Amino acid sequence: MIVQLLVSGIAVGIVYGLIAMGMVLIFRAVGIMNFAQGDFLMFGGYFAYTFNQMLGLNIVLSLILASLCMGVIGVIFMRTSYWALRGAQAKAIIVSAMGASIVLKEGARLIWGSIPLSLDKVKEGSVTVAGATIQWQYVAIIGIALLLMLLVYLLLEKTFVGNILQATAQDQYMSSLVGIPVIVSIGLTFFLSAALTGICGGLLAPIFFLSNTMGATAGSKAFAAIVIGGFGSVPGAIIGGLIVGLVEQFGGAYISSTYQLVLIYVVLIAFLMFRPRGLFKEKIQEKA
Amino acid sequence: MLQKSKKNPVSAMAMTAFALLLALAPVATSVYTVHVISVAMISYLCVLSVYVLLGLCGQNSFAQAGLWGVGAYLAGNILLKTGGGTLTAFVVAIAGTALLAFVLGFAFFRLKQYYFTFASIGLMTILNGVFMNWEPFSGGAVGMKNIPTFTFFGWQATTEQSKFYIVLVVCIVATVLIGLLFRSSLGRAFMAIRDNEMTADSMGINSLLTKSIAFAISGALCGAAGALHASLSGYLSYQSFTYNQSTIYLIMIMIGGTISPAGALIGTCVITILQEGFRSLQDYMQLIYGVGVILLMIFQPEGILGGGKALYERICERRKKAKAGSR
Repeated sequence: MIVQLLVSGIAVGIVYGLIAMGMVLIFRAVGIMNFAQGDFLMFGGYFAYTFNQMLGLNIVLSLILASLCMGVIGVIFMRTSYWALRGAQAKAIIVSAMGASIVLKEGARLIWGSIPLSLDKVKEGSVTVAGATIQWQYVAIIGIALLLMLLVYLLLEKTFVGNILQATAQDQYMSSLVGIPVIVSIGLTFFLSAALTGICGGLLAPIFFLSNTMGATAGSKAFAAIVIGGFGSVPGAIIGGLIVGLVEQFGGAYISSTYQLVLIYVVLIAFLMFRPRGLFKEKIQEKA
Repeated sequence: MLQKSKKNPVSAMAMTAFALLLALAPVATSVYTVHVISVAMISYLCVLSVYVLLGLCGQNSFAQAGLWGVGAYLAGNILLKTGGGTLTAFVVAIAGTALLAFVLGFAFFRLKQYYFTFASIGLMTILNGVFMNWEPFSGGAVGMKNIPTFTFFGWQATTEQSKFYIVLVVCIVATVLIGLLFRSSLGRAFMAIRDNEMTADSMGINSLLTKSIAFAISGALCGAAGALHASLSGYLSYQSFTYNQSTIYLIMIMIGGTISPAGALIGTCVITILQEGFRSLQDYMQLIYGVGVILLMIFQPEGILGGGKALYERICERRKKAKAGSR
């Protein structure tokens, strides 16, 4: 039982961590919390459903295609709800992101209907380890998530493009002075973030079912992960996601399944009270 | 964006005129419309509470719908279980919610800006979970039924119209009180914190206490709205008090503009009219609503009121220039 919960907790948690990482990338680049990130997840899941169930493609291929589509949606989102408002106050941008979240939610309902959907698992069946039955899907999720994290790490830290993205996150004005096209760089960040979150949607869909309201719950858990891990820190977001996933699974099994979400937020508020800066410090300093 | 706390006769007069016009509504329209307006006025109270926190004090909270629910369930418990009257329920709902907000404010406002916003999202989720699961207090998933309507000294408000007038009176009183707050030293302390918290601190304002008071005032408004909601609808369900509802309040105030209570009024009206007007489009209504919110934020990031004010100032300036030119 414990091994089972541990694996499912880590699998779900690492996905929350990925979503949180997507949010942190956007937050570092533009200093705004993206309130529509959860809906990116939902939309990505529906794209994966379209490629996998409607067009009958292989699940891995559908995940890749879905993430590319989501990247495009991310760029459109950036152009309409962020770039057009970048001079305005932060609260106006937050509200426009909420508007975009409504649009995505309703768009998904109009296109795919409101009946919960499911799609193929990456690998069917389960394996027995030390007396515990573990679904292959969880193992696959952990593997894919680790691979994605490695790729993002390499992209951000080891490549020229990554340097451009980080420079823009540090100081937009300064980077425009040294010849970085800021709009392209920010667009790329949104692309990356939305693509990552889109894959998560396809990975979570076989476990939680797709519905147009799944974004809100997943998004709020990712928020919790970010705050627990430390605002603006990528490793923090992942560790935070793992904590949220484990609290959710173990709390649901041992304490109360009805108070699952409440439990996560109690942990969140406890963190805010006693360690408001989170577990990790942010790499890019808070902008004045 | 500095803003002097001077008297603004135009906005006050416009709001009085609007209230008078609204008072005539039951004579002219159907029972359904009267009910819709009553519900909208309750939303207005909640949006006003966002105005106090965000517009005056600069703190962004997503817990307003939760506080609204606390007020509603408190009132429902008083009315159903203790047999107290409407007035008792009202006082308990306002005082209880304000007290809860005040105490929580002390804990939460040790966190600044973003961190407070996140704590408030957490509070909202926790409150919703409590409403859904704590059966002795909220009736759990079934909710609370058959809450008696407004009763004052033996007189019972049975028609929609009489309920409407009760809600209207509460709204007017609340608006006047917030107007007074705007001109008081407490209101100026709120605005000092909004503009620059560090400066406010160095001028001798206890920012933690002041922000907690702002949260308590917004809690009181939400509590009043909750008590009204309990008696008006007679039925409470945890599904009304969600995070989504809180975001709707935020959208309303941002669309109206955060610079005056009139913004709360305009925002509530616009969203209610949109929601009711596009009801015939059914499926596409929410989509249009979302696109509308984005467009409004792109073209009027300061809200309708902010945009109107900028326009008015530009006209004034042009007139001045024209005068100077004619001389």
